[in-house]
Amino acid sequence: MPNLRLSLENRPENVLLVRRALGGVAETLGVDALTLNDISTAVSEACNNVVQHAYGGGPGPMEVEVYVEPDGLRVIVRDHGSGIRPRFDAGTSEQAIGGIGLPLMLALASRVEFGDPEGEGTEVRLEFEAAHSQAAPMPEGGSWTRRVASGGEEIVIDIAPAALVRTVLPRVVCALAARARFSIDGIADAQVLADSLAVHTGSVISATHLSLAISLEQRALDLRISPILTGHALDGVGSVLDRLAERYTVTPDGTSDVLAVRLAESR
Amino acid sequence: MPSAVYTSPALTDTAQESEPQQFMRWQQRGDTAAREALVRRYMPLARSLARRYGRSSEPFEDLLQVASLGLLKAIDRYDADRGFPFKAFAVPTILGEMRRYFRDSGWAVHVPRSVQERALKVRGARETLTNEEGRSPTVQQIAQYLELDLEDVLEAIQAIQSYETISLDAPAPGADEDAATYGDSLGEEDQRYELVELGATVGSVMQSLPERERQILHMRFAQDLTQSEIAGRVGVSQMQVSRLLRRSLEQLRTLTGTPAEVG
Repeated sequence: MPNLRLSLENRPENVLLVRRALGGVAETLGVDALTLNDISTAVSEACNNVVQHAYGGGPGPMEVEVYVEPDGLRVIVRDHGSGIRPRFDAGTSEQAIGGIGLPLMLALASRVEFGDPEGEGTEVRLEFEAAHSQAAPMPEGGSWTRRVASGGEEIVIDIAPAALVRTVLPRVVCALAARARFSIDGIADAQVLADSLAVHTGSVISATHLSLAISLEQRALDLRISPILTGHALDGVGSVLDRLAERYTVTPDGTSDVLAVRLAESR
Repeated sequence: MPSAVYTSPALTDTAQESEPQQFMRWQQRGDTAAREALVRRYMPLARSLARRYGRSSEPFEDLLQVASLGLLKAIDRYDADRGFPFKAFAVPTILGEMRRYFRDSGWAVHVPRSVQERALKVRGARETLTNEEGRSPTVQQIAQYLELDLEDVLEAIQAIQSYETISLDAPAPGADEDAATYGDSLGEEDQRYELVELGATVGSVMQSLPERERQILHMRFAQDLTQSEIAGRVGVSQMQVSRLLRRSLEQLRTLTGTPAEVG
């Protein structure tokens, strides 16, 4: 299972979200800025391809998975669209600008593979060797059920293990708050909440994985966070929520709970 | 540097030739007009790579120069007989040039510093825009004001949150000498964090504060009003609000410092 999975719509602004999440992974792993730039650039190209070509310019799902492996990082970008693969175009001057996605990926990743996921679509697998300096290998990613983003929940992010939550969650939540046009003070609040959740890994949120479903409106974010461990009464997170959330609820979902939080700016 | 290649835009017959012919004329006969035609043809590629790979961490014109140099190398060394399109050869060559430039200029080392510098700018912009608009700006407003992209501003915000590396007494860029230093605005932010840190234990203890102080805390930290806005609503001076806030926080700290009282 991946250590990070983002289930998104193929919107251009979601490429930024992917880049922010990769930045979080890089920080946890101690990947240097130069290597992160390589990784981000190559992954952005794969994502841009999904944004522009996978669904003939229309909307559709885009999935990004990150696997932390002892000898490097593997990133998969998947769509369920027409199966158009990046290719080399003949080099007329107009096309010289477009169609550089594939050579870019080939130049930056140590390995690029294309595959067909179950059903239709395209899967781009990018491998980056020795991308991180962390000596200890990351634990295996958590096991989560495949969830299809639908209805208002357009963005679903799974993070495992907990080590990644601290650096990925705040970046992702802040990027989304910015997109929802929160003020920078409101974004600071969102970050405080994300940090608070990250700090309470193992007591409030599971130590093995975190699933986050987010929908946004103008100046409002709805987050559904699971699994929340039952029996800890939200520990310190509760008082942060009291202060910063417009409202929140905890509802049982099988063996654990789901925390639903609404962050909103009144002005 | 390849500045010469920019200076002969005159279209000759060479420009109408096919790409293989142009490569042949330059590589085998040293026809500089053919080389210039190739540069013109592929300059958009170099530009695009500089933009995608470099983002805004370097002055774009510098990076474009480096990318152009990479393009020239690629044009000189490309071997059409190998059967790969030029682009497949040019992209890694140009990227290689930019990477070497980044490595040699210590880019990976100075990136964190430029993020910090940007964090200072963002902080300054936040203050300016807050004063102008009377409310906290959005990331988009800050990005527009500073002519940065959203990603840069978000990165800077992240850096601000871990602001221990930023000199708190540095004057805001472009501000008057007697204008606020960052330390001034940080006082507020410190309080915010302090409250959140206290938050873990503060819930029940809040009840022990007088109603008005609870209200002020709520307005400041939940509704995000400024001290002046709160002053207007409660009907006291801004100085009083500041004092009340500080006193409430001190009181909470004292109260939460007694573990017996915390559930």
